[in-house]
Amino acid sequence: MKRFWMLLLYIILFAASLLWIYPYIWMFMSSFKPSSEIFTKFWPSHFTTEHYSFILKSAEAMQRPFVRALLNSIFISVTVTFAVIMTSAFIGYALSKINFKGRKTLVNFIIFQMLFPGFMFIVPLYVLMRALGLLNSLSAVIVPSLMSAWGIFMFTQSYKSVPNEYIEAAKMDGANDFWVILRLMLPLSRSTASIVGMFTFIGIWDNFMWPLIVIRDYNKMPLSVLLASFNKEYGSYVGPILAGSVIQTIPMVLIFLIFRKYFLQGISMSLK
Amino acid sequence: MKTLKRRENIKGWSISTVYLVYTAIFWGYPFVWLFVLAMSKWNFLTPRRFTWFNNFIKLFMDDEFWRVVINTFNFMLYFIPMVLVLSLLFAMALTKVKYFKTFFMLSFLVAYVSSGVAYSIIFSKLFAINGPLNKLTYSLFGVTIPWFSQPQLAILSISMMITWKFIGYYGLILYSGLVTIPKNLYEAAELDGANRWVKFWKITLPLLNPSLVMVLVLAISLTFGIFTEPYLITGGGPMKHTYTFMMMIYTNAFQKLNPGYASALAIVTALISFGCVILTRKLIEREVSYS
Repeated sequence: MKRFWMLLLYIILFAASLLWIYPYIWMFMSSFKPSSEIFTKFWPSHFTTEHYSFILKSAEAMQRPFVRALLNSIFISVTVTFAVIMTSAFIGYALSKINFKGRKTLVNFIIFQMLFPGFMFIVPLYVLMRALGLLNSLSAVIVPSLMSAWGIFMFTQSYKSVPNEYIEAAKMDGANDFWVILRLMLPLSRSTASIVGMFTFIGIWDNFMWPLIVIRDYNKMPLSVLLASFNKEYGSYVGPILAGSVIQTIPMVLIFLIFRKYFLQGISMSLK
Repeated sequence: MKTLKRRENIKGWSISTVYLVYTAIFWGYPFVWLFVLAMSKWNFLTPRRFTWFNNFIKLFMDDEFWRVVINTFNFMLYFIPMVLVLSLLFAMALTKVKYFKTFFMLSFLVAYVSSGVAYSIIFSKLFAINGPLNKLTYSLFGVTIPWFSQPQLAILSISMMITWKFIGYYGLILYSGLVTIPKNLYEAAELDGANRWVKFWKITLPLLNPSLVMVLVLAISLTFGIFTEPYLITGGGPMKHTYTFMMMIYTNAFQKLNPGYASALAIVTALISFGCVILTRKLIEREVSYS
């Protein structure tokens, strides 16, 4: 009797898992189907890459430069991810390993900062970007995200578990703080760096509302906004839209699958 | 000794100053301006006029604002029970299985890392009138369901999409709460003759309280930030029933060019969101003890 229930549980879980990844499967399969078969057949008569070549080549003539947008997205996400990891690694070090006056207040301030939802800052931040003359440039997306209170907080927490003796030993050998952070603290906090990096990358790659607001020029749009605008104006090109969605999705899923171990860790870490 | 202390102070502050300057520009300045703008009338071009609480008064007399308030609670009414029950079921199923655990986790979690734009497009195609889902319901029951064109259904559909996305994440939070519950509590209860139902209500739920509160708080704050899905799929319709706070802020600031009004709205949205979170914590948060 017990075995019957277990079997049933496994069947339900497998069915649910398939149901959950079904949208991905459908998107992926459909992006390779001939246009006339996307909505009519589950298994197409033949597979084709025409939608991909359309979106990567012909869409340029429709003022939707997808290759450019893909490069923009990569540039924005890589820059921001790198900057957030580096700044968090340095500032987290100061907040956990350097004994200076006012350190506690600063940590509390960073926690306080995290209480406020991002949407409160959208309008005034736009006004600031406009005043700085950064509108309609990649900087408008990059600059406001270079440092993250959450990233600093995560590093501060994880550095606490690194024994001070390590740092003292490294300093005995003549290492300065710069060296200590890059060669000692950062490698020891690899999992924190992965968690911060992964969530930052996914967050900025997926960001839609902010680039939609600050960028008007099709040549400077990240993929998410360009894909949305293509979908809005050329809605009947279902195949190319799905191909674009696949391209937009793949980096996020890849990063997730590569760092999945840290993802699970990250969840249990942020609960403490 | 004293010089060492001074050196630490200088070092600490010189690193922290980088952060403080950055924060002052990109967090502090906008924070102050949010309140200044909320009390101003402006269209980005002509000189700004200070109007005190005019924007707020106008907001509370705006039918559109109340529509959005109703919509948001309408969303919660579908989304919160759905996501809570399903992610709890998922978490409990995970504690029971021995094999394929990672596979199940990953299948549900991969939805969480789906791109907002791409998955909105995919669901709008899947749920379309001529889409696969309606094909299925038509061949089975002979009906097609207007998933995005009937007001209540549109809200339900978007809630379902967001549920799809977040079950893996919330389920994992609940799962890590479930595995910390000591096994011997259940064994003791079994000796006392407790059945499944009693064990669930008397042991699992009370001890899971911190994780449940966390999921609930995340889900509530999320509802106030919905933008991409309705913006791309329904455009706020039908009859403004999927119009959200974020869409209203966006429209007022960047299409009606009324940043003052949008800022007032952002403040009120944040206050309502905080209020909901505090209220939920007051109502359901319990001290957990393992005795």
